[in-house]
Amino acid sequence: MRRTLGRITARLGGAVFVLWAVASVTFGALRLIPGDPAQAVLGGPGSQASPEALAAVNAEYGFGRPVLVQYFAQLGRLATGDLGRSYALNVDVGPLVLSQLGGTLLLAVLSLALAWLLALALATWSTRGGKIASRVGSSLEIVAAALPHFWFATSLIVVFSIWLGVLPPISTGGIAGLVLPVLTLAVPLAGFLGQIMRESLLIALESPFVLSARARGETERGVRWIHALRHASVPAISLSGWAFGSLISGAVVVETIFARPGLGRTLLTAVTLRDVPVVIGVVMIVAVAYILMTLLTDIASHLVDPRLRLT
Amino acid sequence: MPLRHPARTRRLLAATVGVVTFGLLMSACTATDSQEPVGDPNSGGTLTYASGDAEPSCLDPHVGGNFPQALVSAQYLESLVSRNTDGQIIPWLADSWTVSDDGLTWQFTLRDDVTFTDGTAFDAAAVQANIAHVQNPTTLSSTGYLALGKVTGTEALSPTVVRFTLSEPDSALLESLSQPWLAMESPAALERSQDENCASPVGTGPFIVQSWVKQNAIILVRNDDYVSPPADAGHSGPAYLDQVIWRFIPDSASRYAALQSGEVDVIDNAQPDTIVQATQSDSLEHLNSPRPGASNRIELNSGQAPFNDVRVREAFIRSANVDDAVSSLFQGTAIRSYSALSSVETTAISNANLFDYDPAAARKLLDAAGWTETDADGYRVKDGVRLSVRFPVSTNQSIPAEQSVFEQIQATAKETGFEVKLSPMDLSSWYAALASNDYDAVSAPYTKVGPDVLRILYHSDSIVPAPSGYFANHAQVNDPEIDELLTTAASTTDAALRTSLYADAQEHILEGFYILPLYDQQNHFLLRSDVVGLRTLPTVAVPTLYDAWLNR
Repeated sequence: MRRTLGRITARLGGAVFVLWAVASVTFGALRLIPGDPAQAVLGGPGSQASPEALAAVNAEYGFGRPVLVQYFAQLGRLATGDLGRSYALNVDVGPLVLSQLGGTLLLAVLSLALAWLLALALATWSTRGGKIASRVGSSLEIVAAALPHFWFATSLIVVFSIWLGVLPPISTGGIAGLVLPVLTLAVPLAGFLGQIMRESLLIALESPFVLSARARGETERGVRWIHALRHASVPAISLSGWAFGSLISGAVVVETIFARPGLGRTLLTAVTLRDVPVVIGVVMIVAVAYILMTLLTDIASHLVDPRLRLT
Repeated sequence: MPLRHPARTRRLLAATVGVVTFGLLMSACTATDSQEPVGDPNSGGTLTYASGDAEPSCLDPHVGGNFPQALVSAQYLESLVSRNTDGQIIPWLADSWTVSDDGLTWQFTLRDDVTFTDGTAFDAAAVQANIAHVQNPTTLSSTGYLALGKVTGTEALSPTVVRFTLSEPDSALLESLSQPWLAMESPAALERSQDENCASPVGTGPFIVQSWVKQNAIILVRNDDYVSPPADAGHSGPAYLDQVIWRFIPDSASRYAALQSGEVDVIDNAQPDTIVQATQSDSLEHLNSPRPGASNRIELNSGQAPFNDVRVREAFIRSANVDDAVSSLFQGTAIRSYSALSSVETTAISNANLFDYDPAAARKLLDAAGWTETDADGYRVKDGVRLSVRFPVSTNQSIPAEQSVFEQIQATAKETGFEVKLSPMDLSSWYAALASNDYDAVSAPYTKVGPDVLRILYHSDSIVPAPSGYFANHAQVNDPEIDELLTTAASTTDAALRTSLYADAQEHILEGFYILPLYDQQNHFLLRSDVVGLRTLPTVAVPTLYDAWLNR
């Protein structure tokens, strides 16, 4: 019990450290870009900010204060759960980020689920035996894993929206508009997960416990699906935490190309406009989601792998 | 002048090669092929517009004042005056106007039958409230605020007559007032908080802002009581469309794909490759409407070496093969400019002879200017210093084709001995590079109605940076003669004199080799062929959906 408690404390401490580091690095990175943030707030191409407007913006957001003061003010606000107010959109960051969270989460969860399905299917099929299946499987995985999101998204649009005309190239609010974005994110991830799954599946199939299962008269299907696959899925499960993070970053590209509302697009716009509170807000939310996801994958690993429960 | 090209360019091609009968045949075929003869306008329907510009953070163009705001606000806000395709100022919410002999007092007579869509009357007091709103520092107006620089006060002489008092004569006042950044909004609506007014500004226009879901769409609905189209509109009464869905699709390829698949009806910011594709399609049309104000040009920083020597500036211009770069990279969608001003400005002066590609002449000029040695890499050297041109490129403002043009110029200038250092940058870094004078060449668009943009860009006053470090005179032209011409032109009330003064000023600027004009500020729209009647306002070339209808 005490050990569990200690573990939870260590976890929480780690989470707080990660959040602090995320906020600090983001703040520092945005401050390193040269240029006056007030000008960025006011000046789009072709507009010229008046001195009065600049002074007003500087006064309102405190850009004139020393960077360290701004940094601690920002940290202080974050510590109390206040994400601040967007420079560019003039709305509170908390509600803004939460309103965009749903779309991105849906995209990420669906993509992760589809990636798992595809990877499982590919891994089990390609380890069935036979050189051809194995070669085709590994080639497909490598190609899929190497697909750049922006290129793959554009190709999907060309094929399914322009040539075949069956799916909308931009988000329409319905399910049809989700298909291409989910495919864009899921296929490269499936290639990656599939590679890992196939490798560990092959190792598992060679292991003594598989031999003993066979000796007990377990059917081939039982050997593969119950014993070997369970074993082989452990590394893929622990990687899913990482994969979730990469899906969120993939959302930046996908949401921009498919004109979907979401965190990725919010982040891109905010970075371009140097809207520091929004950038930090999005990054913090993503960090929290990432920490939760890692926790979930740990729990899932414990459930799948009984050995972890003993240690 | 906004041109509307039929998508079938083969018609044009046939005409240019002189095969008139073939041209007639083709036009006859295509008319029956795909496009039924356009009959009377249909009322009704929803048009979806997809913008490639950034989503505005505020729908009230008084706040800030940029092009994305102008694009959408032209659908629900209107100005006191407009401009026609001949460059003449025409009535809009103001019926007529007079100016005093000293040029310090302007009197506008307003339409008496116009009401804002919240029921507030449009009258002299409303105009006063709008001018006060733009001039109020807490509004954070940039573009509108600058345009009203000489306006010191307003007075309501009667409900329909408003008087503007100026600190000095302003020959650009009407052009300034025609811009969407000075459009008229309901004074009652302006009294709400800025957040509220940003989300749903209230005007007199053909559409009303119904809702705005950020990062998704702005929904505009028809104003059924609309009575005030500008004098050059195609019809009177309410708009034809029931509803407009205004979306933002930042990626050029997806925007075009959405148009092709019919998800959207009109897109802006069409890039050269998609324009060429669209002109080969029967279901799409192309609307080319260059923006007013300055042409897109490379400005050479004459404030420091090496471009403080006119011979080096001329050498650079002669060594740049712009024509080939533009025709290959813009695939025929952009026409080469030889002017400081956009071709839509009737006061523009063009001088092609000054910009011939002539590497031999360029080398002679460099020799004469003392850049006689050549280093191992083939670059010219003077006193141990290499002939380098630092060229920060704003990736927000220069489209990919333009960035490629710069690379072509870099390659051809190298043959003459210039080392052009292109540095792509985000907007903030780019502003910073300009503010710290770390540049020798730069290219920045500037949209404004009328030739007064010359004063902003080339008067020596504009070298003095604003508190932010920003200044508009990137070429750092500091010539008392040009200053004198621009100042006089800005304050004369004599239209003919104004035109000739601006012509002289442009000659000086072009002959001083301060700038290398490239082409007009590109502004291409693509639309489904069944969208009829779409045009751009000749003020800042934003589309107006007032006359548009769906032929389906």
